[in-house]
Amino acid sequence: MNSLITRERLGDVLFALGSIAVTLLLWEGIVRYFQIPAFLVPPPSDVARALMRNADLYRVHLGYTLLATVIAFFVALVLGIAMGTLTAEVRLVERTFSPILIALQSAPRIALAPMVIVWFGFGITSKVVLGVFTAFFPVFLNVSHGLAAIDREQVRLMQSLGASPLQIFFKIKLPASLPFIFAGANIALIFAMLSVIVAEFVGSNRGMGYLIVNQSNQLDTTGVFASVTVLAGVGLVFHYTLQAVRRRLLFWATDSESLGSGL
Amino acid sequence: MADGDSEAFLSIREVSKTYRTLSKGTTVALTPSSFDIGAHEFVSIVGPSGCGKSTLLNILAGLLAPTTGEVVLESRPITGPDDRVGLVFQRPVLLPWRKVIDNVTLPIEVKKLRPKQAYVDKAYQLLEMVGLKGFENAYPSELSGGMQQRASIARTLVYDSRLLLMDEPFAALDAMTRDEMNVELLRIWRAQKMTIVFVTHNIPEAVMLSTKVIVMSARPGRVREIIPVELGERGLDLTGNPEFGRIVSHIRGLLDQPERGAQP
Ligand SMILES: Nc1ncnc2c1ncn2[C@@H]1O[C@H](COP(=O)(O)OP(=O)(O)OP(=O)(O)O)[C@@H](O)[C@H]1O
Ligand SMILES: [Mg+2]
Repeated sequence: MNSLITRERLGDVLFALGSIAVTLLLWEGIVRYFQIPAFLVPPPSDVARALMRNADLYRVHLGYTLLATVIAFFVALVLGIAMGTLTAEVRLVERTFSPILIALQSAPRIALAPMVIVWFGFGITSKVVLGVFTAFFPVFLNVSHGLAAIDREQVRLMQSLGASPLQIFFKIKLPASLPFIFAGANIALIFAMLSVIVAEFVGSNRGMGYLIVNQSNQLDTTGVFASVTVLAGVGLVFHYTLQAVRRRLLFWATDSESLGSGL
Repeated sequence: MADGDSEAFLSIREVSKTYRTLSKGTTVALTPSSFDIGAHEFVSIVGPSGCGKSTLLNILAGLLAPTTGEVVLESRPITGPDDRVGLVFQRPVLLPWRKVIDNVTLPIEVKKLRPKQAYVDKAYQLLEMVGLKGFENAYPSELSGGMQQRASIARTLVYDSRLLLMDEPFAALDAMTRDEMNVELLRIWRAQKMTIVFVTHNIPEAVMLSTKVIVMSARPGRVREIIPVELGERGLDLTGNPEFGRIVSHIRGLLDQPERGAQP
């Protein structure tokens, strides 16, 4: 059983690496064949060389961006679960906050980036704030959906055993809404990183967003591509980490259950 | 403990239920009904859809407060979910994220039963008794419908309930699995020396299993007749038993012809 699964996964990984390699080769070939100037589209070999040469630069800036992203993600996760639970379980909270949250949810929150910089400055705080502000909603919405979709028979079972509301929450509602929390977390992580980078575009003196703005101002297209490559790599790592955690925690859930909206 | 002679094991006294809803106003689901059930009886409830069978069972389980009357179990009234009562649902309602054994031990956690290890041991024994030995560490999705329902019965038996309530527990199973489960249930009933109240739509099933069949009728829901069943030998093949045939056709007759002039 076990070796079968790992062999299958190994196959997946090899296949993914293969398709990336073919894409890079095609890209390299086309750029060279049509002699496209490097300031428009650099060949991947140039990008790779730039990455190696300036590895330290990317490492430092990526560090700032990642720190802000991870803080924003976890704060958004905790806040989203807490608020999602409160609105699902407490009528008063639902009636008080739902209109406000729905209004905020439909607004383009990222557009507040310049104001967030004005309010919270050039440092990491503004990045985290914008990240939390955008990443909160997918978690919040998915948690409230998840709690609304609880199997009522499971709750009745717990009631027939004389369970307290707290026991029903921790033994039924929380685990049952885990697939939804995960769907929300997936989107939240992407939103957090996007927001941090946008905030760095707007006002920062470090981080990947700052680096990319600088590079494009200097028409260093190869540099921009190198930065984007770094971010794509981070995105892949995030994705596969969450997948691995999901497989461990949610082996019991069918995939269709974890569908959730994030916008 | 109460002296068994003067008091019935389970006593339903003038119990009625009226639902109030926004859409339909009030629905009389059950008119005042009284009857007694003795210790170690197996009582089936049959009746048309909507006659208040589930309502009655939920009242016995303490999940629903009766509009009038009271339910007394071993001299103590039932006022809410009670350790003395176990409820088996139509669907198994196993929690998919818990292994089979952890589903069976759920009541031990919820009720904080002590000593814990003794109850966990009991959970393993019960799984063996319902034929799930070797599946303790499987997840519910790996079991068939019949196996899931067996696990749910083990879950209800794990705390020491004296009264087992079952609301159409085998209705979702195919005929063969259902026969198997009936034999199993009779065995459990004898082994555990408990009292069972069993709701079903299947008249031969009710007669085959029971010591007493309660026939209910609808609009308004009420107890129509209580029929004692004395078959001697119980088992799946009762077609040759004249008493069995007589009772089954008597109940069919009751259900086919609604009483005249019963409408209030
Ligand atoms: N929660 C409720 N609110 C309002 N009316 C209800 C409620 N539950 C049941 N009823 C009504 O009470 C009556 C009895 O319902 P009940 O579920 O007890 O019937 P039943 O005998 O179990 O039927 P079935 O055989 O279909 O399961 C029905 O008319 C039903 O519409
Ligand atoms: Mg019913």
